Amino acid sequence: MSTALTPEHLALRDAVADLLAKRSPETEVRRLMAGEIGYDAGVWAEMATMGLLGLTIPEEFGGTGAGSAELAVVSERMGAALLCAPYLSTAVLTPYLLLALADSAECAEALPRIAAGDLIATVAFAEPGDARPPQHPATVAIDAGAGWSLTGEKTFVLDATAAQRFYVLAQCSSGAAVFAVERGAPGISVSALSTVDQTRKQGRLTLADTPGRLVGVVGAGPAALDAALDRSAVALIAEQAGGAMHAMGMAVDYARSRFQFARAIGSFQAVKHLCVDMLLESQSAVSAARHVAAAFDAGEPDRLTDLALAQAYCSEAYVTTAATTIQVHGGIGFTWEHPAHLYLRRARTDAQIFGDPAWHRERYVRLREEIS
Amino acid sequence: MTDQAADQVRAEVRGWLAENWDPALDRGEWARRVFDAGWSAPSWEPQWGGRGLSDGQSRIVAEEFVAVGARGSGMDRSDLLACTLHDLGAEEQKQRLIPPSVRGETRWCLLYSEPGAGSDLAGLRTRADRDGDDWVVNGQKVWTSFAKTADYGLLVARTDWDVPKHKGISFFIFPMRQPGVEVRPIHQITGESEFNEVFITDARVPHANLVGEPGGGWPVLQSALAYERGLMGDLARTARSSRDLKPDADSLIGMARSAGRLTDAHIRQEIARVEGYAAVNRWNTGRAKATRDRAEAATLMALGKIAMSRILHETAAVQTEIVGPESMLVGPENPVGDAVAFRTLNAYFTSIGGGTDQIQRNIVGERVLGLPKEPEPFRDTPFRDLPTGS
Repeated sequence: MSTALTPEHLALRDAVADLLAKRSPETEVRRLMAGEIGYDAGVWAEMATMGLLGLTIPEEFGGTGAGSAELAVVSERMGAALLCAPYLSTAVLTPYLLLALADSAECAEALPRIAAGDLIATVAFAEPGDARPPQHPATVAIDAGAGWSLTGEKTFVLDATAAQRFYVLAQCSSGAAVFAVERGAPGISVSALSTVDQTRKQGRLTLADTPGRLVGVVGAGPAALDAALDRSAVALIAEQAGGAMHAMGMAVDYARSRFQFARAIGSFQAVKHLCVDMLLESQSAVSAARHVAAAFDAGEPDRLTDLALAQAYCSEAYVTTAATTIQVHGGIGFTWEHPAHLYLRRARTDAQIFGDPAWHRERYVRLREEIS
Repeated sequence: MTDQAADQVRAEVRGWLAENWDPALDRGEWARRVFDAGWSAPSWEPQWGGRGLSDGQSRIVAEEFVAVGARGSGMDRSDLLACTLHDLGAEEQKQRLIPPSVRGETRWCLLYSEPGAGSDLAGLRTRADRDGDDWVVNGQKVWTSFAKTADYGLLVARTDWDVPKHKGISFFIFPMRQPGVEVRPIHQITGESEFNEVFITDARVPHANLVGEPGGGWPVLQSALAYERGLMGDLARTARSSRDLKPDADSLIGMARSAGRLTDAHIRQEIARVEGYAAVNRWNTGRAKATRDRAEAATLMALGKIAMSRILHETAAVQTEIVGPESMLVGPENPVGDAVAFRTLNAYFTSIGGGTDQIQRNIVGERVLGLPKEPEPFRDTPFRDLPTGS
């Protein structure tokens, strides 16, 4: 198992970086974050053409079937650029969930459309009060003879306002399951959440006797969702690492060029040491993200304990780095016009959406207890 | 290095060890055989106990020696006296001093730091004054390991007080076994004594043992320090991999379980937090080894010391939380508290030794991030005119 980037990885990284430099500069990020759906259809189509939307999708379903390492390479760049797009929900979490549910009909229907950029889909699992999936969802699904219908409330739903389809975790009488619910279905109501991070849209979903299509089998939902969240976390922590590296670089550039007292502020040890601590945090996050990606590709037995540590670490490393960047920038960093706060906003969100650092740390100890 | 060349070297050294290695052999006799075969310092020329291999191949040789428990290889990285002379010594010095050092017949120690020159090593005040064919040395050095058993000290001393501080320093191979050299152990906060103070009073070093030019000692010292940092890094990496094999009883989880604290939510959080620090440090090291990008590897290695300091201090802090009041106790009748206290205090070995973490942050900030140095208002001031604060 190696964490070294291959020439193919480097080419992929450069291609994505090139796309983002052209199509997702700060002006675009700011334009999209101010809008309701939060992405640009033209950029999304380009990403489909480049194969980025099918990265996690096997070839038989129209994707490229790449591994976690490739996903991590791409996600690092997207995190660094604060790309506004439903990538994590549509191109990562949804495919991993459908593959884990092993519903070949649903995979054949949805995954080629996702890879082609024709379907925006998301997963609605969390309910009020907790970003992780509930043990026993309050959202219920009833088989009324003529098919399933769902009632309940889902929240923290990634890209809800852009999604054409929701994969909803709901409780049936004999276990929890995942149901496909179309955007236009009766009884559905979608509203945007007012989020700290406007570059990553979230929404609330209420369902009242809304028809849904069972995906996989009843009882298989929770385990499939957990597996999908773990595999998707590879993308999330890589994105955190990329964001942290970018935030660190911004601070270092500023410390080199900003003069006070007739010196670059980076010559003051008080500032220099902040920069070095940011370097340690962000580089360690990169190492963690790449290690976990390689561990998933290699099927390492320790991959989940490693992920638990890495996810707690990367979450806090990104928050710390983004926060310190504002401090190093001083007054200019406190202005809306400066991008530093956009990274802190993203970092604070990324540290919650798949569970907070404390949740992952507790998971680590629990897994270790099971081993020993 | 091609894999084929590496395999060839490995096969050759294995064959040689199979034929020659005998644990019962006299240590000196063994060292002579290793030297004559060119395994002592494999990356050097034959006259210095080498055979002109690459650094990577030399490491393979050392690995094979370690694997059978044989001593005597890897001197091209670990014998700091020989390494420094090999790069910068005069021909006569090399011939006289390298072979016995590499064969372990003579031993060395380091005479760099002083009570008044720690982080600012160039502020050293030990003096060497020319007297015929000798230099006469007076001053005090600190943090010297193995001073009592050393034949030579790698000494930096001031030979010119009328030039700026970096320019008046000379580098000597200083004979330790002479009147005027007094060694006293330093009692460390851990209760151990691994280091010494060395008091030097009218001791002599021949002019023939001056390395480089008078006043040209600073660059020689930088070269010696670079070898030392490399050696410390190698040792730290070896130590880390052996720590990975610790049995569970010695892990934080095992410790918390024994103390009945593993059900405490706060303790569980803290355990995972510091184990996260240790894990990312392993992953940094793994990434540094795997990458083909030299700058990336150098960046990660430069961060290793700061990362390790955090791991050691924070691990000791969590252990303190786990054992609670036991942490007030020491001695053989309190092994748990004793170990926690030792680790707490010994963590400073890493965060101060070899340059404090704060100095390391300056170095990383300047060399890796390209941040400007602090202004040096006294850069061109003659040493004798510098403010001393006393």
